[in-house]
Amino acid sequence: MALRVQFENSNDIGVFSKLTNSYALVGLGGSENFYSVFEGELSETIPVVHASIAGCRIIGRLCAGNKNGLLLPNSTYDTELQHIRNALPDSVKVQRVEERLSALGNVIACNDYVALVHPDLDKETEEIIADTLKVEVFRQAIATNVLVGTYSVLSNQGGLVHPNSSVVEIEELSSLLQVPLVAGTVNRGSNLIGSGMVVNDWCAFAGSDTTSTELTVIESIFRLNEANPSAITSTMRASLIESMS
Amino acid sequence: MSQYNFKKIAVVPTAKDFIDIILSKTQRKTPTVVHKQYKIARIRNFYNRKVKFSQQSFHDRLTQILTEFPKLDEVHPFYADLMNVLYDKDHYKLALGQLNTARHLIDNVAKDYVRLLKYGDSLYRCKQLKRAALGRMATIMKRQATNLTYLEQVRQHLARLPSIDPYTRTIIICGFPNVGKSSFINKITRADVEVQPYAFTTKSLYVGHMDYKYLRWQVIDTPGILDHPLEDRNVIEMQAVTALAHLRACILYFIDLSEQCGHNLEEQVLLFESIRPLFTNKPLIVVANKTDIVTLDDLPKEKRDTLKIFEDSPDIPVIETSTVNDQGIMEVKIEACEKLLCFRVDQKMRTKKVDGILNRLHVAVPKPRDNKERPPVIPPNILLKKQQQAEKQKKKLERDIELEMGDDYVLDLKKSYTDIPEEERWDIIPEFWDGHNIADYIDPDIFEKLAELEQEEEIREETGMYVVPKMEMDQTMKDIKELALKIRHKKAIIREEARVNKQNKKPAIPRTASVKVKDRTVAKLKKSMKNLEVDISNTKNAHFMKTKQKTKLTSTPAKQMRMEVSTEKQEKMNKLKALVKPSRNDMGVKDVAMKKKLARIAHRAIAKKVTKYGLKGEGDRFIGTKMPKHLYAGKRGSGKTDRR
Repeated sequence: MALRVQFENSNDIGVFSKLTNSYALVGLGGSENFYSVFEGELSETIPVVHASIAGCRIIGRLCAGNKNGLLLPNSTYDTELQHIRNALPDSVKVQRVEERLSALGNVIACNDYVALVHPDLDKETEEIIADTLKVEVFRQAIATNVLVGTYSVLSNQGGLVHPNSSVVEIEELSSLLQVPLVAGTVNRGSNLIGSGMVVNDWCAFAGSDTTSTELTVIESIFRLNEANPSAITSTMRASLIESMS
Repeated sequence: MSQYNFKKIAVVPTAKDFIDIILSKTQRKTPTVVHKQYKIARIRNFYNRKVKFSQQSFHDRLTQILTEFPKLDEVHPFYADLMNVLYDKDHYKLALGQLNTARHLIDNVAKDYVRLLKYGDSLYRCKQLKRAALGRMATIMKRQATNLTYLEQVRQHLARLPSIDPYTRTIIICGFPNVGKSSFINKITRADVEVQPYAFTTKSLYVGHMDYKYLRWQVIDTPGILDHPLEDRNVIEMQAVTALAHLRACILYFIDLSEQCGHNLEEQVLLFESIRPLFTNKPLIVVANKTDIVTLDDLPKEKRDTLKIFEDSPDIPVIETSTVNDQGIMEVKIEACEKLLCFRVDQKMRTKKVDGILNRLHVAVPKPRDNKERPPVIPPNILLKKQQQAEKQKKKLERDIELEMGDDYVLDLKKSYTDIPEEERWDIIPEFWDGHNIADYIDPDIFEKLAELEQEEEIREETGMYVVPKMEMDQTMKDIKELALKIRHKKAIIREEARVNKQNKKPAIPRTASVKVKDRTVAKLKKSMKNLEVDISNTKNAHFMKTKQKTKLTSTPAKQMRMEVSTEKQEKMNKLKALVKPSRNDMGVKDVAMKKKLARIAHRAIAKKVTKYGLKGEGDRFIGTKMPKHLYAGKRGSGKTDRR
């Protein structure tokens, strides 16, 4: 199930929200429209929590997490940390990280088993990531971009990466991450995939500019409907070529 | 979105309006005051500025027109050709060219007069030079009147052209008039093209859009084409030809199997042959329409043979359709889209364009690098929900039952009455019974209500509500009752008296009320008695009142009729006047003399005021003291703010 949403006229919803298999964080907005889309879709199964980090609502870019844990930057206020700890289930470890690259969402891309991180990340941070999120950590770049969190989105069933990444690179990443991968875009051709959409194992949200072809690619690569990832190369091939060139 | 948008071209004013706009703009935006005693340099500068400003305004406005109108050499050949067909290329180019010349001429005029103005030696001469300059510019513009009106018409027509994107996925529908092209586009898109049972209902191109395979498709409905040489084609047909010639689209050639369009199959095939050059290198489908009247198999042998050329060539599929019963419509749509998509993808694959996106068509499937399981984490309730949804779709639908039972199918409304037990569910209840509408007597809560009422009644009985109390009066009680009755009577009388006394005893008759006429006279009495044949001749001692004879008033009435009228008419008028309310300045005025006197007094009072305060007349507004001292000075107590 993939939905189109908008955060206060901005299509970069991955900036304002964080979605994992055991919780969802949503930035504080002027109205509850955005929050309620998540609430309506998810609140029966996982907690959907309002949050801010360091007084900012760009939480999706500042924090990184999966079903096992949540990493927050050093700038997080104590009250905010306490609020998040109280709101999330006890099984989720919430950890504050002292890291120079404080926009953790931009430098870490992870699912519940593996994580791609920025090559310049501290050694200690890497250890914390491995401990809290219980993942294997790989230092990688995507299509020469070191901000792996910005240019890719991962779930346990698939992943979408920067449209410029080459076939070889995708293959390499795929064998590293052990999920099917495809290069693509969101929000009508935006290559900022991490900020354009959020996904977990059964549900995805994309910016409201996302075209129907993009949405179908998302649904099939993340296995959100009956279609297989291979549908992208078979049944959708002609439409994709038509819409992209 | 199409890159060709002709809707934003600004309005082209007529020559007269054009001149008015520029001249009034010059007047508004340049200084307007100059005096002859100014230094001559200043005066020259003043007029120089006016000439230059109006030249610049003319120049800008003309440049705007010249840039906004599409240039035939720069637009897509489809649009260039369409505009040639609709507006005549030569005329269009000439009009724009002449405007360009006019712009140059105006620039030159301004240059000349600016030069001349340097030699102007007085205000008058400078002004005359300016007048001449603006006059000549206006004359130049006046000569462009026809061009401007022509361009305005072109603009209006262009703005109403459908926005066709010549590069996108397009399906073009063509064929003889009246073969069902417009009905078809109405079926597959939401374009609301007019459909009529006569030829050339569609006189221009129409565009509709539809979705197929996540993509947006443009469908163009063309006017019908007749089979004659290109030179003989009229503007309506030429639009269709232009679309066919220049748009890289999938062509749907419509033929009418029933021949109700007025052209037999042979002619339709001939037309196909003659416009076939326009179909080269384009996916093509022949649509055999109106199968609700006659199908391909029903056609006689010789007619069937005429269609042989389609059947022989493998790349021209013939699909039977009917826009009446929707047969084959979807097949045509899917076939056309698939063919075009295939064609376009093929073409794109040949170019370098696709190389950049090939990586995005590749799905990398990982080879397992260890034995670790990495299953997805989906909560059980989500899986349950998915399962439920799948089951819901498996449910036997009404449609399935209908298909199963075929003609025996009857819709059973009662089977969904799950509240009623199975053996009672299909019971037949009459609508009327003994002349009563049964529905009126149905109350779903009747038993509950009954039980409630019975319980209430029981409680009442228990508490002894219905036991008649025994009343016994003793003597004192009776006395008290009697006394109370008396008191009540007395009270009522007192109240009534008080009410009467309180009433205003003065007569309350308004000024406007008519005078009460004495109705009882001796004469009347006598007359009525006489009618009753009672003799009352001997009435000397009867004390009848003697009424005073009515004497005429010495003074004439205040308002005299101007006209001389007969007495009878006057009486009528008087009666009428008694009914009509007199005007307010006549009220209470006895006669003419009094009225005159009053007028004199009023006139004097007004005259006094007018002379005292220097007013123009009585209507001149006058405020004696604007701020009376006693109202504005000192502390104000309550109720001192307004004048008394």
